[in-house]
Amino acid sequence: MATFDPSSRRTFLRAAALASAGLLGSGAIGRSERLLAAVAGAGPGPDDPEVPNEVVAKILQDISRGRPITRGHLSLDMPAAAEDGRVVPAIIESDLPMTAERYVKAVHLVVDFNPDAHLAVYELSPAIGTVSLSTRIKMKRSTWVRAIAETSTGELWAAYAHVNVTLNGCG
Amino acid sequence: MGTVGDARIKVPDRITRGEIITVNSIISHPMDTGFFRTAEGKPIPAWFIKDVVITYGDEQIARFTWTSGVSRDPVISFTLKADKEAPLTMVWTDNKGGVYRQSVPIAFTAA
Repeated sequence: MATFDPSSRRTFLRAAALASAGLLGSGAIGRSERLLAAVAGAGPGPDDPEVPNEVVAKILQDISRGRPITRGHLSLDMPAAAEDGRVVPAIIESDLPMTAERYVKAVHLVVDFNPDAHLAVYELSPAIGTVSLSTRIKMKRSTWVRAIAETSTGELWAAYAHVNVTLNGCG
Repeated sequence: MGTVGDARIKVPDRITRGEIITVNSIISHPMDTGFFRTAEGKPIPAWFIKDVVITYGDEQIARFTWTSGVSRDPVISFTLKADKEAPLTMVWTDNKGGVYRQSVPIAFTAA
């Protein structure tokens, strides 16, 4: 690699340390390290909600394709507590431009512990003028919800909301 | 709402050229996940809208990919830069091949 990438270096050091300690691939430490490795050098950052399982790791990996997912330029408005998991409102907004030169081409909605965690993809174009989406979704249990926007120039911006769910809305 | 596939699209009554308007839509659909059973214990098969295509005149302006995680009688609001007088059309397609279409004219208020 020609350029210095601190995140991949960190991942390498972590993997090397674990390998030398004989921990890689064994037990709980090995599992969480594998999840981190699955989104290595990319995906969400250290201050973002933890990736809870392989399914969500795979979804984030497919979205990021090696690019970092950075918090900002996007808002995800959801209730902190939802009595009925069958109907939970979600509003996604962004201050990113919607011009022919640069626009949000897709917004992904991921609900970590839902049976179908990659709940929706909204493919957009400059003709919508701005990103302002409002919908209602089902939630199985209390979890993080992730909204991730991909711009036409390849940037990934995210917003997160934690929702406490009283009644399982997924069966 | 009534019959499966009944759909409404709401746009503002008065629209001026170039304005960014909010479009509200709702369609009647059970959005069955496939995880539930009837009171008699019979499984309810998955039946949900998987795809929504939005066109403005001849131009496809958005496309949504959904799962059964979207609530029953799906609502979706989005915006539109109203820069031409043309129909706004939404086509919802479900996993059993059901196709539902609704359209509204985008027309400008005379100055």
